[in-house]
Amino acid sequence: MPSDELTEKSSAGASPVRYAGATKRYPGSAKAAVEDLTLEVPAGEICVLVGPSGCGKTTAMRMVNRMVEISEGDILIGDRSVRDRSPAQLRREIGYVIQQVGLFPHRTIAENIVAVPQLLGWKKERAAARGAELLALIGLDPDLADRYPAQLSGGQQQRVGVARALAADPLVMLMDEPFGAIDPINRERLQNEFLRLQAEIGKTVLFVTHDIDEAIKMGDRIAIMREGGRVAQYATPAEILMDPADEFVEDFVGADRALKRLALMRVADIDLWKAPLAQAGQATAEVRADLEDAEIPYPLLVDGERRPLGWLSERDLAGEKVPARPDSPLGPLLDRDDIMRDALADLLQGEAQYAAVVDHEGRIDGVLSVEIISEFLASPKAKTEEHSAVERPRG
Amino acid sequence: MASVTTLAAVGEVGKGFIHERTSETLPCQATDKLFCWDWAGEHINRYETPTLQHLELVAISVLIGFVIAFALALLAHRHQWLQPPLLAGTGVLYTIPSVAFFFLLLPLTGRGMDTAIIALSAYTLQIIFRNTMIGFANVPRAVVDAARGMGQTDRQVLWRVELPLAMPEIFAGLQVATVSTVAIATLAAFAGGGGLGEPILKGGISFKTNLIIAGGIAFLIAVILGLILFAVQRFLTPWRRVRQA
Repeated sequence: MPSDELTEKSSAGASPVRYAGATKRYPGSAKAAVEDLTLEVPAGEICVLVGPSGCGKTTAMRMVNRMVEISEGDILIGDRSVRDRSPAQLRREIGYVIQQVGLFPHRTIAENIVAVPQLLGWKKERAAARGAELLALIGLDPDLADRYPAQLSGGQQQRVGVARALAADPLVMLMDEPFGAIDPINRERLQNEFLRLQAEIGKTVLFVTHDIDEAIKMGDRIAIMREGGRVAQYATPAEILMDPADEFVEDFVGADRALKRLALMRVADIDLWKAPLAQAGQATAEVRADLEDAEIPYPLLVDGERRPLGWLSERDLAGEKVPARPDSPLGPLLDRDDIMRDALADLLQGEAQYAAVVDHEGRIDGVLSVEIISEFLASPKAKTEEHSAVERPRG
Repeated sequence: MASVTTLAAVGEVGKGFIHERTSETLPCQATDKLFCWDWAGEHINRYETPTLQHLELVAISVLIGFVIAFALALLAHRHQWLQPPLLAGTGVLYTIPSVAFFFLLLPLTGRGMDTAIIALSAYTLQIIFRNTMIGFANVPRAVVDAARGMGQTDRQVLWRVELPLAMPEIFAGLQVATVSTVAIATLAAFAGGGGLGEPILKGGISFKTNLIIAGGIAFLIAVILGLILFAVQRFLTPWRRVRQA
């Protein structure tokens, strides 16, 4: 099976990247574009280089495949210096994705994807098989294989750009603002797709962006850079949000960093409220009794499998038995694994105070409210403890 | 002459009649009629050799011009500083009046087709060179960056990416160069280079039928060659025909 062979290779094909005092000086310029950069990106991780424009992040990235030549110092991929082979040979081992995509307009999608295998002299059948495999991997309709890039949307083109970079199973991927030119909705989709892909292929990725939110979302580690390619802080997204190294990082991350931390949390990470539950046909007196010491003044109607159906109002409880149809619709329904930031967005968008949270089987797990989130953001724990459930102060 | 005398003898019968008779009897080519169909039908053969010569002049000149201009364009693409002097140099050649160019070359290269070809080739340089450079300049930078970034050598970038993408402009240059060479080649006769200019020179400018046939053939050659080049360009650049998404 050729695909098995390739998957095996993919999992083995990631190398750490080490900057060892790498410096780039342009002639006629007093200041170095990148000065004495030392940084280690562990194999299989996404390292995001982020910083204001002109900070040297793109230069630093392009030094890895020698699109920018190193003036002093060195960069190692695995144990090998990038300087011990010709730039062309080096680049064939490194995936390269750029903001403007740069697909070959005169080549079909299939031809574009196998451009690097072709340079490496792969046999036609092997390249074609790999091309088909990658089309499937990026979720592109196989019918598009014979189209030209101009016939694809921007989002589809960048998917092809990513596939092209992955084609020869590179040791390292360089991605220069890869989703920067794509509309927000598609950008989010492509980011998610790439994260899902990365979970599968586990490449070492250097990812350049100027967008701190994208950095937080995409990075296993983030290097925040300032002028001259100096690293202001190199840490995980959580550490950077919780414990900015200095004022520059704090400013760059923004005053809303507490809010940004929501992007790192899942709904399951927070203590949910327990909803008073009710089932159709149950005596309303019983439900009213439950409401007495509940955190939510409305009971949640669930079916026999404890799947939420909707909220019961005062009117619903006026009779003796709980009706089968709730008065108020369910509103936003969240999954335990939803990102907290998205969950908050759903709450706000649904103009709802409460949202039912369900597990993978769709059974009720608890209730998330805007109040829980705001208390979490205000609590001192939010500043010290990450990825842990937070106790809701009683009161 | 005899017929004229006979007609004169008819005397007073009527001027209109005499006139009609005259025009019927005189050979068409002796009158100032715009086009003499009979004469054209009988003498069309005498244009065969000039037509073939004309095609030869155009084909060889454009080919030589293309090879030189293309080589210069590759050189100037690699060494950008060469662009301004090469543009200026080919520009100067382009501005020399063509008849003067032929006569200037005569003492150096003598009468004949070679002289004509040298001058005609020189005229194509500017157009082909400039268009090729425009073609290279229009290749999207991101595409070249991606090609280099994936490990294509400079030569691979040139032949696999830049040249194919510059094709439309290069062909546009070839088209203009070819069509204008067809026109200028009619002056090759001044240098003894043959071509469709020769029957024009020999037949004199007052015999319109001759002018129209020679000029018409040149016109047709220009149109047909232009269309052929257009078709070849379309065939070679299929990606330009697809509908945009």
